[in-house]
Amino acid sequence: MIAPVLSLEGLNKSYGALQATRDVSLDVVAGEIHALIGPNGAGKTTLVRQIYGSEAPDSGTVRLHGATVNHLSVPQRVRNGIGRSFQISNVLMEFTVLENAMVAEAARRGEAFRFLRPAFTDRGLRDGAMAILARVGIEARGKTRVADLAHGERRLLEFALALAGDPALLLLDEPMAGAGPEETRHMIEIIERLRGEVAILLIEHDMDAVFRLADRVTVLVEGAVIASGTPDAISGDAAVRAAYLGGDDDVEA
Amino acid sequence: MELLRILGEGLARNRLLAVILAGFALFPIYTGIADLPFWNDLAMRIMILGMAAMGLNLVLGYGGMVSFGHAAFVGIGAYAVGISQFYGLDNGWIHVLISLFACGVLGLVIGFLSLRTTGIYFIMITLAFAQMLYFLFVSLEQFGGDDGMSIDRADFMPIDLWEPLRLYYLIWVALLLTSLFLMVIVRSRFGVVLEAIRSNESRVEAMGLVPLRFKITGYVISAMICGLAGTMFASWQEYVSPDIMHWTRSGELMIIIILGGIGTLAGPLLGAVAFLLLEEWLPELMLLVAPAYAENWMIIFGPVLIAVVLFARGGLGGLIRRIAGGG
Ligand SMILES: Nc1ncnc2c1ncn2[C@@H]1O[C@H](COP(=O)(O)OP(=O)(O)OP(=O)(O)O)[C@@H](O)[C@H]1O
Ligand SMILES: [Mg+2]
Repeated sequence: MIAPVLSLEGLNKSYGALQATRDVSLDVVAGEIHALIGPNGAGKTTLVRQIYGSEAPDSGTVRLHGATVNHLSVPQRVRNGIGRSFQISNVLMEFTVLENAMVAEAARRGEAFRFLRPAFTDRGLRDGAMAILARVGIEARGKTRVADLAHGERRLLEFALALAGDPALLLLDEPMAGAGPEETRHMIEIIERLRGEVAILLIEHDMDAVFRLADRVTVLVEGAVIASGTPDAISGDAAVRAAYLGGDDDVEA
Repeated sequence: MELLRILGEGLARNRLLAVILAGFALFPIYTGIADLPFWNDLAMRIMILGMAAMGLNLVLGYGGMVSFGHAAFVGIGAYAVGISQFYGLDNGWIHVLISLFACGVLGLVIGFLSLRTTGIYFIMITLAFAQMLYFLFVSLEQFGGDDGMSIDRADFMPIDLWEPLRLYYLIWVALLLTSLFLMVIVRSRFGVVLEAIRSNESRVEAMGLVPLRFKITGYVISAMICGLAGTMFASWQEYVSPDIMHWTRSGELMIIIILGGIGTLAGPLLGAVAFLLLEEWLPELMLLVAPAYAENWMIIFGPVLIAVVLFARGGLGGLIRRIAGGG
């Protein structure tokens, strides 16, 4: 049997008296889009941080392709195939869109620690960077400084950078947060196209998007998994409806 | 050759830097004709301080690391000459190697220990290390302690520094090499990542890079450049004392950078020109205008600095660029 791309086993994390992650176990298998939903403060981002390596669990194991990565740092996990888009855009604000992608491209190629040739005039880096931007369709905005970018476009750049390193596992923390309906539709298309190419853990409050995209849905409430299954099973789950969906399909907060 | 192409292209993009370097190269012709040898002396001091400020600017301006102890590296560079001579080693080229090595190792150790912190903690730790070195040299009686030690102009065979202008052009070449080196690396992938770290360290990590590795490398390079400036300083002043490492000297370097334009290549050099000219002229000006306050020329200097920071964004370099329209 092939090991899942990501496999969490018995993760626990507390902040003082607050238990943000309670005995969470879940798998994300190759090619699947696995949605993680739950009300505000349920512990979704905290869980992502433990997968990504910026936060250490109090107990439990994080496995990537079957190998434990608990001891690995963020850059090590990224090089092992994790890409993350952040809930709050996390890009190089003073750089242009293309420059953002060029730094990512230099990193992807393992060429970042070079001292001689100018980076931003390099044809190869530029072509690679354009390809990164083209995946989300913002290559036309290359010359714009990120600080002057509209919010929705910034979300797209964030997404492009998460994809830049050709990850095997993509952690998308509310990629559509704050984006307009047009961009949301665009983003859903992009994620749809990635299906099968990369395993995705998708956190999203927009239930339409979740039920359109997800192969599996896991519901987190107060740090604990209360249900996990196909979208149909989840939308019909009485416990989930009681605790979270509450009969209403859209749980925007 | 590729390196030449990179250098040529770099200078074309940094005209201000090229102009300043050319200005320093030609300056002695003017002072020769006008018979003002004193000004050569001042120009050498400007080049040395400018070189040190350029070194600091790599971490301060490009890397966003507010190191408040870089004068210590200038001091180590100068003491490398004094101490070598004390033990009978007179060759200036070897002094340069010793000082680069010492500052490199010291930069690595201090960088390794302090770069895990950020913000005010980083400022305080770098200051603390610099103060430790300062007091170390105050306490080293065999090297003059508080009073410092006198130094002979080093022996840069086959150049005889006692011939006119030899020291001037040695310093100029050191400045030129420093400038070209920095010009190349700040545009390289390394330099770009260093700026990316200043902009957003967490994004750089998310790209799979280890920020600390880049920051320490930048820190070591900047320490070595300050060390080189220190060895030049030793031959210029023919004397070194712990005063060169005092925290106010570190502050001066930062002021020079801000004055000239932080995070630019030409900025620190411009800043050094402005800083030392003001230091030279303001007391005289005060003597004319308000003789009773001549010693307090800093009263004018402070407001000038604040005006530059507030009104000339990008420092003097930014001002010149705006006036010249782009460039
Ligand atoms: N560093 C921290 N220190 C203390 N408490 C924290 C910390 N990070 C998160 N928390 C708490 O842990 C809980 C889970 O937070 P988390 O950000 O993971 O929720 P979330 O499910 O991502 O919510 P949202 O949908 O609003 O993004 C919250 O109560 C939050 O206040
Ligand atoms: Mg969150």
